[in-house]
Amino acid sequence: MSANPDDSDIAGQVRQLLATVLELDPAQAQMLADDMPLFGGGLSLDSLTGLELLAGIETVFGVDIAADDLNLDSLETIGTLIGYLKKATG
Amino acid sequence: MSAADLLSTGRIIKCVVWDLDNTLWQGVAVEDPNGAVPSPDQSILDIMSELEKRGIVNSVASRNDPVMLERLLADPVLHGKFIVPQVSWDPKSTSIRKIAAHLNIGLDALAFVDDSAFERAEVSYMLPEVVVLAPEEMAAAIGTLAFNPGQLTAEGERRAEMYRHEEQRKEAEAGFAGTRADFLRWCDMRLTITPATEADLPRIIELTERTHQLNSTGRRYSADEVKERVGAPRWLVPVARLRDRFGDYGTIGAAIVDTQAPWPPDVWLAEIVMLSCRVEGRGIPAALLRWIMGRAQDAGMKSLRAVYRVNEQNLPVRLLFKQMGFTKLAGDDFVTVARDLSQPLPAYPDWLHISTPEASVTG
Repeated sequence: MSANPDDSDIAGQVRQLLATVLELDPAQAQMLADDMPLFGGGLSLDSLTGLELLAGIETVFGVDIAADDLNLDSLETIGTLIGYLKKATG
Repeated sequence: MSAADLLSTGRIIKCVVWDLDNTLWQGVAVEDPNGAVPSPDQSILDIMSELEKRGIVNSVASRNDPVMLERLLADPVLHGKFIVPQVSWDPKSTSIRKIAAHLNIGLDALAFVDDSAFERAEVSYMLPEVVVLAPEEMAAAIGTLAFNPGQLTAEGERRAEMYRHEEQRKEAEAGFAGTRADFLRWCDMRLTITPATEADLPRIIELTERTHQLNSTGRRYSADEVKERVGAPRWLVPVARLRDRFGDYGTIGAAIVDTQAPWPPDVWLAEIVMLSCRVEGRGIPAALLRWIMGRAQDAGMKSLRAVYRVNEQNLPVRLLFKQMGFTKLAGDDFVTVARDLSQPLPAYPDWLHISTPEASVTG
């Protein structure tokens, strides 16, 4: 696991993590659009899958969103999450 | 800190973790040529059953041949007395961490009893939050406030039983072939949400004291404050009861909602939302919040507001409000969020059967 994954890695790994916590088909997860909302009408994350996603992100990227992004603004869409991780690991 | 200091810090012990050899019984079990489990000390059994009556569960951390676990589970006296007992060669701090994770409780809610000064020191060093006691200190310790949760509720008296249901549920889930949603549907969960009555007061107060991860503000209420809110038309105080195919969990959540909050009209304020962490991951918190949103919408409200404090413990609360479409209005450590009720409300999770005073809904 690289501490400094390049941008395309981040996008792919985020979708891979989403596939794992939401039990999605990994190939289909890679096709999800950047503007797909993570909660609500989008991917329907909930508090448990949300915790799993944040734990996965901490393992893969070493970024603790729960502590660094207190209002969880990074968790709007797939794109906002990828953008946040690019900044945090860049 | 000494054990006495640790016990005077306002903590509530939820689980006592026992050593086996020379603590629960005299002697060393694996040295028995017949492989029998020694007879446990009656004085310890008495303490264990008193703890269980107070809603405190018993577990085991033993550095021993894992075969001892089977013997422990098969023993006619000790069978069923321990929740997630740990028998392995791991350090005891590792076993205690596993117990806390399995019960989904904080390390500061655990007490560890061991005759070995080495093991006590290992746990104290690795896990300073845990209250560490020698067996002979236990009789005095259970007289302290940390071991006396106050007024005992039906949920408290049945807590050990509920943890056993939870263990069965987790075992079933581990062996379940299918998605998590399929498993949750198979669990046949029935959630009943009703406005609280006076009979619910002790349990509501208990929830304010015992919930952390899924408690929006952590505010402590006096008995009078809760009583005032349960009785008055200004306040909506829903309580949520859960039952599934494994058993009855009792009242696992509650909220206090101000329907006449002194700011913009057409707004209700959820003063506190709290749920037992044992029900996390089954859509129950979302369902309770969804119910409140529906009530507010029915009453013609434009918005439901809520407050939560931001800390390390309550990430599930922050995720819950995010999930339900709340957005931040103001605050840093203590955040006010709002949900626009003109936007469609999310559906209840489809694996939950919801009963409310108005109707019975199936997801």
